[in-house]
Amino acid sequence: MMVGTTQKSNSKLHILERFREVNSTFPKTSHLLDYKRSGNKVFGWLCTYSPEEIMHAAGILPIRIIGYSQEAELDDGNAYLYVNSCSFSRSCLQLGLGGGYDFLDGVVGGSTCDGARRLFDLWRNYIGTPFYHVLTVPRKYTEKAHALYYHEVAQFKQHLEEFLGSKITDEALYDSIKLYNESRKLLRQLYDLRKLDAPPITGAETMEVSNASFRMPKEIFNQWLKDLLEEISASGNTHTGRARIMLIGSVLTNPEFIKSIESQGGLMVADELCTGTRYWGDPVVLDEAKSPLEAISRRYLNNFPCARMFPSDERFNRIIDSIRDFKVEGVISQIIRYCVPYCHDLPLLTKRLKALGIPILALDVEYGTSGSGQIQTRVQAFLEMLEAKRK
Amino acid sequence: MTGSQNSKIDAIVRACRLIMRMNRTRPDARPSEAMYYQMLTNYFTRLLNARENGDFVAAHTVFFPAELIYAMDMVPMHTETTTWMTALFTGGCSDILEAGAQLGLALEICTPHRGLAGAFALGSLPRPDVMLWSNMVCDNTAKSGELIMELCHCPGFFIDRPFKDSEYEIQYLVGELEDMVRFLEEKSGRKMNWDKLAEIVARMDRQIELIRNINELRKTVPTPFHSQGFLELLTIDYLFPGQPESIEYLETLYQELTAMVQEGKGAVPHERFRLMSLFIPPMYLIGFLERISQEYGAVSVIEPFFTYWGEGRLDRARPLESVARKSYMLPEARMYGPMDERALNSIVDCAQQYKVDGAIYYADVGCRHTCATIKLFKDALNDIDVPVLTLDCDVVDQSATSEEEVREKLERFFELLDDR
Repeated sequence: MMVGTTQKSNSKLHILERFREVNSTFPKTSHLLDYKRSGNKVFGWLCTYSPEEIMHAAGILPIRIIGYSQEAELDDGNAYLYVNSCSFSRSCLQLGLGGGYDFLDGVVGGSTCDGARRLFDLWRNYIGTPFYHVLTVPRKYTEKAHALYYHEVAQFKQHLEEFLGSKITDEALYDSIKLYNESRKLLRQLYDLRKLDAPPITGAETMEVSNASFRMPKEIFNQWLKDLLEEISASGNTHTGRARIMLIGSVLTNPEFIKSIESQGGLMVADELCTGTRYWGDPVVLDEAKSPLEAISRRYLNNFPCARMFPSDERFNRIIDSIRDFKVEGVISQIIRYCVPYCHDLPLLTKRLKALGIPILALDVEYGTSGSGQIQTRVQAFLEMLEAKRK
Repeated sequence: MTGSQNSKIDAIVRACRLIMRMNRTRPDARPSEAMYYQMLTNYFTRLLNARENGDFVAAHTVFFPAELIYAMDMVPMHTETTTWMTALFTGGCSDILEAGAQLGLALEICTPHRGLAGAFALGSLPRPDVMLWSNMVCDNTAKSGELIMELCHCPGFFIDRPFKDSEYEIQYLVGELEDMVRFLEEKSGRKMNWDKLAEIVARMDRQIELIRNINELRKTVPTPFHSQGFLELLTIDYLFPGQPESIEYLETLYQELTAMVQEGKGAVPHERFRLMSLFIPPMYLIGFLERISQEYGAVSVIEPFFTYWGEGRLDRARPLESVARKSYMLPEARMYGPMDERALNSIVDCAQQYKVDGAIYYADVGCRHTCATIKLFKDALNDIDVPVLTLDCDVVDQSATSEEEVREKLERFFELLDDR
């Protein structure tokens, strides 16, 4: 029996090592420490509804607050957040309480989910950071919701200006939008390669890139990704597998989890993760009728939605579009225990996918899992089923 | 899945009637207690007979502005309370929890919502004409509506309630309420009765005032209101906002408690421990908790997130805006919004004003957003030398904890308080 994706070229992607280096040393990467040493400010954000361009335009380096990328002992996280908070929140807090983010000058959160908002509450109370801001993030997409979110984003900008003692100009916002949109465009190019019948990059490799994208300055990231795209193009690498898989669900940053699926022959071609497609999904669309701030605000609320948003069909339709675009044969849902928004969506999404003839495997996981043990057994059975369906 | 239509509601009604009959034989039964059970009986009977009577049933989640439903002469169905009452009066929820799990709802989804979906799937609850829900107070309430819409084949409306209480956010909520009224008018063919809403708002204002007055009486040593009595106040708020019977009940209760204070009578024979209750005790242990309260002289005197209303008044001249503002005055709102100094100071204020000896945190395993505050609250209370007992439990699932386990923990806690 064939196990693992088949790679037709052995060309190693050397540039990937740069991204791996960032990921393996995060949070205290050389980039971040250099940035701090040169007198600049670094802010951490807790959820993809935090508008990074505004921080960047203020001369701040925004990075995502992430927990340990592997499963870890979370004694402090459990004690402070209780065991029924999701392990992502607990892992982030554990890392923060241990001084992992002691270089941060500010933390930005949103009213996105119970886990994120309580993480923000605990962070503010127990970890010293000079600046805090929490945004109300509407759950709808109506014009009124957009107006509210714009108001919130404008308040955030004003708060930041007061903290820094300087104005954030429209010109700076335009520059930041351009830079961030360039990142999104490059990531889309990388992802589009996975639409091919035999993609030149694996899912686990792609995750190394997307993980680094929110952990380092975009100026450097963009250049590295351009270099990587060129290297991939020249490599002649191709990967095939037993079935084309899309990964959906809770926050995930451990590429080992994807590797464990790919090692069994699952070809991971697409995702709906807030550390993947949902992070970079949509660009900021500039329009003469809108200020740069309005364009930013609109993008963040309209972006590929988290399960927190209403109606859920917006998310489901985006997933179904990806299934078609990436020729997905099966969906693997990985939901961190106590990640309630995704738990509620699961029966509804399963019903919709069933109607389309797309099988779904639902896995309950803890944040940082590498996908060993029982998960492997269930993935194996799922792949066998998909393989049989193919025939 | 099978289940007899409306069986859970029927069971609640029968249980309430039985309690009323038993209370009639009790010489110490409060008149307000009889009124309370009569109100519950009426609420669920109306729901039970809604279809037959041609009523329009609006199911809604917790903290939803039911004033609007009453003003449109619809029959409300408070979803979480219906699950709690099922646990409280029928002694178990295992069938509906199992049915919820069979729908694909994970065990991490809190039991009131998992059980509710299961009850609808079983057909044990009447099918609503509309499902109304909001993001007050947690992800479970925000996410529960769509599945119920599918299960009941009914339309629904989601109210997006902003997290903070700036004027802009309050006006956004007013806009949401306006949209919902239009939705209800379209689906029911009924018009909003604005005069009736104004009356309801005026009564709700009085209702809040009465609860504040009752709480003032509870500051007395010994405290006059029985330990789990706050659940009555909570239920009145949830099921009967601004209703005439609420005012009648609260005024009667106020008079009863005033008389007790004047006579120097307490809720328990010998008050020894004045407690703060944080979150909701398990419904199936309410009787036991009352008994242990009497046994040890331990009484809940304040519940910062359930009965301790924030400042402010409601204005009948601006009914919709008042309903929106009420959402931020609710005791629970302190827990829903940012957990800043304002929220933490309110707990400390409560502890000091009500001369609290200790606090009990009912840590409902399914309630993530409350349990994540345990450390914050413990630290705030410990700073003023108030010990906190954390009791792991589930508000409706009996398998989470036992009476023996809770007794042992409470006894140890009372010993600790005694030693001080």
